[in-house]
Amino acid sequence: MPVKLEVRELNAWYGDRQALYDVTVDLEDRATTAIIGPSGCGKSTFLRCLNRLHEETPGARATGRLLLDGDDLNASDVVLVRCRVGMVFQKPNPFPNMSVFENVAAGLRLLGVRRRDELDQGVAEALVHAGLWEEVADQLDAPGTSLSGGQQQRLCIARALAVRPEVLLMDEPCSALDPIATTKVENLLARLKTEYTVVVVTHNLAQAHRISDRTVFFYLGKVVEVGPTERLFSAPTEKLTENYVNGRFG
Amino acid sequence: MGVRGTPEVGRAARRADRLARLRREGLAFRLLVGVIAAGVVGLLAALAAQLLGGALSSIDRFGLGFLSSSTWDVPDGIFGAWPAIAGTLLVSGLALLFAVPVALGVALFASEIAPRRLRSPLAYFVDLGAAVPSIVYGFWAVIVLVPFLGTTVEPGLAHLTGGGAPFSGATSGLDVLSASVILAIMIVPTIAALSREALRAVPQELREGALGLGATRWEATRLAVLGPAAPGIAGAVVLGLGRAIGETVAVSLVIGNVYQAPTSLFSHGSTIPSWLINGFVESSGLALSALLELSLLLLAISVAINVGARLLVRRWERAEVRGHRRRAARRAVPALAPSGTGSVTTPPWLARVTAGRASRLRRRKVVHALVAALVVGAVALAVWPLASLVETAVVSGGSAVVTPSFYTSTPPPACGIGVSHCPIGGIGPEIEGTFVMLGLAAVVALPAGILGGIYLSEYGRNRVGRLVGFAVDILIGVPTILFGVFVFTVFLRYDRWDDQSAFAAAVALGVIMVPIVMKAAELALQTVPASVREGALALGFPRHRVTVRVVLGSCRSALVTGSLLAVMRAAGETAAVVLTAGESIYWISDLRAPVGALAPFIFEALTVYSSPNYRTDAWGAALVLLLIMAVVSLAARLSVRGPGGNGAV
Repeated sequence: MPVKLEVRELNAWYGDRQALYDVTVDLEDRATTAIIGPSGCGKSTFLRCLNRLHEETPGARATGRLLLDGDDLNASDVVLVRCRVGMVFQKPNPFPNMSVFENVAAGLRLLGVRRRDELDQGVAEALVHAGLWEEVADQLDAPGTSLSGGQQQRLCIARALAVRPEVLLMDEPCSALDPIATTKVENLLARLKTEYTVVVVTHNLAQAHRISDRTVFFYLGKVVEVGPTERLFSAPTEKLTENYVNGRFG
Repeated sequence: MGVRGTPEVGRAARRADRLARLRREGLAFRLLVGVIAAGVVGLLAALAAQLLGGALSSIDRFGLGFLSSSTWDVPDGIFGAWPAIAGTLLVSGLALLFAVPVALGVALFASEIAPRRLRSPLAYFVDLGAAVPSIVYGFWAVIVLVPFLGTTVEPGLAHLTGGGAPFSGATSGLDVLSASVILAIMIVPTIAALSREALRAVPQELREGALGLGATRWEATRLAVLGPAAPGIAGAVVLGLGRAIGETVAVSLVIGNVYQAPTSLFSHGSTIPSWLINGFVESSGLALSALLELSLLLLAISVAINVGARLLVRRWERAEVRGHRRRAARRAVPALAPSGTGSVTTPPWLARVTAGRASRLRRRKVVHALVAALVVGAVALAVWPLASLVETAVVSGGSAVVTPSFYTSTPPPACGIGVSHCPIGGIGPEIEGTFVMLGLAAVVALPAGILGGIYLSEYGRNRVGRLVGFAVDILIGVPTILFGVFVFTVFLRYDRWDDQSAFAAAVALGVIMVPIVMKAAELALQTVPASVREGALALGFPRHRVTVRVVLGSCRSALVTGSLLAVMRAAGETAAVVLTAGESIYWISDLRAPVGALAPFIFEALTVYSSPNYRTDAWGAALVLLLIMAVVSLAARLSVRGPGGNGAV
């Protein structure tokens, strides 16, 4: 697979505390990359650097190069970066004062889509794609927050997909969901990777194993090992990785 | 075996005794807080009944015609309310119109835009603005704002319309426009502070959700923040409106005090409170009854605003979703593959939009920059009056404040109307009077308020409790001059106004403080997590002891803060004190005699005495009040941050 997003010598800080050290990783196109590691190892920080959301945190900063199809993301406008690199958060966060429809339409409206038929089509396609259409077709006018937790998370995925990002970042997308909702999101992920570059942070090793093609193992802000998921789980080269994937710490 | 007097039996009996005692103690405690809570409802009822009772002869005489008549003729005994009603509604409506955009700008700046380092000082400055006593605003308005509006702004406006409506008539500066502007200046900090809290309460995830979607800062605020914060902002606006409706002294100093329905923004006029404070003490008979009917109207307006706002916000919270009908979207379905199959196709229009992202972004950034500029402009508009006020106070009163004798001597006694030169005096008796009245009021009102707050938080989760909470909210919104009117008519004889006294003023201040302390205490107690209560209950403590020892203890600093803020409100209170305390420039010899205090002293320096030295003394008094407010709000801010603070302010 060709490389979609190259991360080069990424360092990140919160105030004086350094969270990432010289992270260099290639994220492959049309594949799912799982980011694993114990709590506080910097995996969420890494993800939030990829769409430059990290710099919105007070006192936070980052250095390094991010190349999306060769374009330097740090030289690009931050709004455009986030159009190309979409994100789904740990806790479902639909806009509470908007209907299901308006939630998905929000990104399209930002891009200047005004025509009714275009909005209708864009929203419907995104919902179909997120596997939510059948469940919410009758309640497009209901508040986004009235859906169940799993539906809300898929609504947020639809919201991100509606503007056709090239990369989709997911920060522990299932950690607030029950097992059935988790399965639905995992199935959705399996489909999405045929179209997008997906990066998923997860603390659930079994999930990482199930859904990802490649896995990156973080420890104390550094990348310990990167490789195809099967290989990394069955025959890790690093002792640290082996201990972690076998549940001996973390 | 089983004989009386064995150790086991003795211990069991002692335990039973102890349990019975604790149960009695618990019942007594419950009774105590219940009586205080009932007292608050009774206070509201008594206030309404007292005003109604006093107004009866006026209601009897004029009927509904009172509302529409414009006459106020004391010799002939003909009275009507229309000029005061029209003035009140016009002035507070305009004030709201001016204040809301500015306050929203300040709140947006403080919550969404300002660099971190600026936020805390700005918040302190805004909170200070909300704490500045209205008499100080009024004083500043007379000295700075009225001349500025009268000689610069108003001629310009008149020129704009060629002297036509709404800018017709002479430009004196003592008019409806000035009153609206000073009111707006006074309520901006209140609305801004509460709106800022509403905006801050919106979870960060929502902002990030919008930013992650490719929104600019402003778009993220619009999409994800304003909606959830809207009910809180509406509440803030209503509170500002309530304050504007009831504001007395500042308005009475700048509105001209002519009893006529305004026909232009440059008309002299009156509002209900300004008319009350001007005529109340000297009135008797039917005129007094008519003033009490005006008071009743003011109470009705403030209750109506409070109730209306509750209903509005509740409905809003329920139906806050943008209600677009979107059935049309379903028609697009048949063209689509079922969920979960098929691959992503990008329709041509979307490809076009995506390709045009960068060029469109330039326009979006212009919008962002425009909004940011408006917001910064609003901050400048809000900061200017406050900065000018502080500057004027320091320049005009600074020399007095640094003179030690200023705090120990009395104001020059010979300086009345028409005396042009008199020596700089002091404000010793006024400081003494303020502290004596506050002390008397606080000794009763603070414990009562805290106990009432305990009732609301710990025992009031039922229908009776909701009624008490409602009464507290209403009382907090009642214009303070009405408490002055209440105490005046209940405790003092109408015909002898030298019955005004330190004691009467302390009662009025206490009545003003109790509901504020109750609300603050309830909120403070609510911040104590249920687990703390449960932990103590699980150890076998009875409920009332848990409340007193554990719950009160763990929100100490929030209670102190709430009490400080209530005392601060009372310290700057002018209208109610002017009505009840009387005037004096001497040291206190009798609590039942008239007494001087800082805020009324400033009012009298503007209305009764006119010598320049009185002005210096009055600015000195204003500066002392400002310093007290500054120190107390700083202490309050620090105490919520310190250990044991629950961040309840």
